[in-house]
Amino acid sequence: MEREVILESQSVTKHFGGLAAVEKVNMKIYQGEILGLIGPNGAGKTTFVNIITGMIPITSGKVYFKGRDITGWPAYKVGRIGIARTFQIVKPFRGMSVRENVAVGAMFGHTGHTRSSKEALEKVDELIDFVGMSHLKDRYADELTIPYLKRLELAKALAMEPELLFLDEVMAGLHTKEIESAMALVRKINERGVTLLVIEHVMKAIVGITNRVFVMNFGQELAQGTPEEVLNHPVVIKAYLGEKFAQRHMKQKAVAAKV
Amino acid sequence: MNVEEKKAPIRITRFDGLFRGRQRLLSGLSGVLFAFLFIFPLFASGFWLNTLTSLLLLAAMAEGWNFIGGYTGYAAFGNVAFFGIGAYGTALSMTKLHWPFFPGMIVGVAAAVAFAIVFGLPILRLKGHYFAIATVALATATGEVANSWTSFTGGSAGITLPFFHPMQLSGQYFYYLSLLLVVFGLFLTWYIMKRKLGYSWVAVREDEEAANMMGINTTWAKVTAFALSAVMAGFAGGIYAYWRTFVLAEEVFKIDYTLQMILATVFGGPGTIFGPFIGAFIYYILVTILVFFLPIGQLHATLLGTIIILVMVFTPKGIMDFISGKRKLTWRALLENVRIYRV
Repeated sequence: MEREVILESQSVTKHFGGLAAVEKVNMKIYQGEILGLIGPNGAGKTTFVNIITGMIPITSGKVYFKGRDITGWPAYKVGRIGIARTFQIVKPFRGMSVRENVAVGAMFGHTGHTRSSKEALEKVDELIDFVGMSHLKDRYADELTIPYLKRLELAKALAMEPELLFLDEVMAGLHTKEIESAMALVRKINERGVTLLVIEHVMKAIVGITNRVFVMNFGQELAQGTPEEVLNHPVVIKAYLGEKFAQRHMKQKAVAAKV
Repeated sequence: MNVEEKKAPIRITRFDGLFRGRQRLLSGLSGVLFAFLFIFPLFASGFWLNTLTSLLLLAAMAEGWNFIGGYTGYAAFGNVAFFGIGAYGTALSMTKLHWPFFPGMIVGVAAAVAFAIVFGLPILRLKGHYFAIATVALATATGEVANSWTSFTGGSAGITLPFFHPMQLSGQYFYYLSLLLVVFGLFLTWYIMKRKLGYSWVAVREDEEAANMMGINTTWAKVTAFALSAVMAGFAGGIYAYWRTFVLAEEVFKIDYTLQMILATVFGGPGTIFGPFIGAFIYYILVTILVFFLPIGQLHATLLGTIIILVMVFTPKGIMDFISGKRKLTWRALLENVRIYRV
């Protein structure tokens, strides 16, 4: 475990009123790995990513990127320092062509300050080919189907030339064949030297591409380890399948809280 | 595999492809229009010269509104405040400081820009209706201040400016000055929309959250759009003040001007380079015909309102969509608009 830590969160907490959406999460992401982030619906995975990327303010805790304290930075600064993300609900710029969508990443992202808009527009061809959309370059984003919108999200994020990339359910809503090509794409991204945090419900993808898995439940860390270890862990199985147990557990907790 | 894999003809990019595809035709049309505008004062004067000067000032303000409303997607309903401040700034520097016109106008524009930045920073955090209401309130309040601050602005007595010399060339002078401002606005739009700033505006319009996450300082993008719209309206206000040689709060802070800017932009095509300019023409021709040439008396406002509603229903994105070939002018296509936009 001599590897360098690229991102570290120290007891990151987010409260929405009385509700703890994320509670004291300590996570380390190592340079070059693919880390899976899983957990039942409402576990706080997306909220966690939203906090790290500065989209919502943090309640308490610290975030370090390559040893630098980035806690509370606005999203655009986080984007410029070398962190990119995709959105679970895709967010294309609908009034722009595919090329322009991707070029925006190249204009304003990690390395954006080095190039003009024209250079950015010329540069993104390779990236559009990489995600397999070269035949759609000049189409408007609002004409694309969901699988292509998801690829566009990826291309936009990659154009920012990030060192760390958060993928928020890029495979949700895709069919088996599309999932396979998406998995290959994620591996290829990793081979380009990008560290990845992958939020995913598709277990096949988690097992197939991640080196390590971090499990969240009710806003807290539940387990972490290799995909095989984690997915066979009784606590994780209970969190996913044992609704009855979970309900009983909740009742006990509620009673304990009243006493 | 999918439908979109079939090769489709490359379409015109809405905001950077000025000379691509059918927009060539449009720039040709604009060229003819500009040639006409340039020689117009040789054979017209009086009423028509005045009408055209007003039209050009409106076009310039609409080009400014297009920055914040068309490209950045923030429905600003208070841009008349920049016009008023530009007019008052010019009038006050010319009367109190006895400055010449051009430095005076620069003072007016600088004041409008400063105003846009200071108030833009807080109110550009609001979205949708809230932003619209805040801008209306801001413009109204500014007009009230100008009206009540008698010691500084002359209050309801207004400010009388010195006349332009020589008097007989006054009409032509302000006409060409306004035309220059319109050309400057077109050039500024074209210049910005090729650059990163333009992309950041459109990104904010399409999805502010995604724009922010992609490294765009959205606050900066919005404030620059607001401030540049103040530049255009501020210049228009300065020209107006010296042209009319009289500035009155009730006149230069009229919300009608804001509505005209918006109507002109939306008629022509928000978020396009020539849209506001062409829209201002359409709007003015319409109003002039209705008010001066149709024997319908007070009914003209009703008729204008009806036409505006019909235009909104059938061409929600402005006539630029037809000219650039993006939308077809058929009954079916028009009814489709009604369905899509639920108007």
